[in-house]
Amino acid sequence: MRRILCVIPAHNEGANLAAVVDEVRSRRSDLDILIVDDGSTDRTMAIVPLLGVRWLQLSDRLGIGSAMRAGLRYALRQGYDTVVRVDGDGQHRADDVDALLTPVFASHADVAIGTRYHVDGATRKPRVISALASLLSARTGRHVTDPTSGFYALGPRAIRILAEHHPTGYPEPELRLFLRRNALNVVEVGVRPRARLMGQSSLTAARLVAAAARVLLALVIVPLRRPEKETARV
Amino acid sequence: MSDHIQMELLAASVLLLVVVLDLVRRRKLTEEYSFLWIFSALALLVVSMRQDMLLTAARWLGVADPPAVLLVVLVATVFTASLSLSVIVSRQRQQIERLIEETAILSAELRDVRAAHATK
Repeated sequence: MRRILCVIPAHNEGANLAAVVDEVRSRRSDLDILIVDDGSTDRTMAIVPLLGVRWLQLSDRLGIGSAMRAGLRYALRQGYDTVVRVDGDGQHRADDVDALLTPVFASHADVAIGTRYHVDGATRKPRVISALASLLSARTGRHVTDPTSGFYALGPRAIRILAEHHPTGYPEPELRLFLRRNALNVVEVGVRPRARLMGQSSLTAARLVAAAARVLLALVIVPLRRPEKETARV
Repeated sequence: MSDHIQMELLAASVLLLVVVLDLVRRRKLTEEYSFLWIFSALALLVVSMRQDMLLTAARWLGVADPPAVLLVVLVATVFTASLSLSVIVSRQRQQIERLIEETAILSAELRDVRAAHATK
């Protein structure tokens, strides 16, 4: 029997979290849910304790990578062997969680990543995303279709490594490079795209420029790093 | 290089050394980060007392004006210092992130323990 933790990273998602939690619960009642509040300044933390889920509260905003690291370390300590990340803004459908978990349970994947672009032409891919996907495919030697997807399921080995080393900043593209460098087996799984439920994305123009710079640096640097050791520290 | 400049340089390096050591004495600067500055001060001290080293370096580098070598050395020192400060800041950032993550996990575990205790 596998123990699965659904980690929901959230920054100022007070308006969406109740709906996200309800959706996950109604679809997969066997999943334990952990919300990781990444230094929210809205009413997120007034709501979270009322949802009947587990939660971590980061005292400052550290970014989604740090929120995931905290969630994964919590998962390790509590003895979970599978983690699925569902974003707090509601853009990931709980309906697709099954599809992500299947390859991880079948043990032929350490990581299953949701892709919104699995059917060619079904969803128009913005040019920047296409370019990034090509760069990542070239650098990893694997076919990357959705380089900015943060909808993924992790098996035991991926949890152990990412609990210490999940990339930070704007981590999704760098995550692909990191997984490849550390010889973790990745499969892409088709998911249906959806817009965030309510509110604004925390991505602004200035953040996008910073994110682009970090991704470019990661493209050069990450494949040159040494693979990380799996640490026993929990 | 004139004797005048030499005296100023000597005074400056002694002053730097005294200030750094005093900061360490008052625990305002920890030992591990003080060595960079102590080495810089000592290097400056040596150069100010041994003009011939500066002349040799200038000839070796093909610089016509020996005091210009001094300037190059100073710039290099400042560069090294600020680069190592960036490394230190980066390490501290990682440590702070880790601490915030850990305190969040610990308080969640504490919550669990308290809840278990309350229901007993």
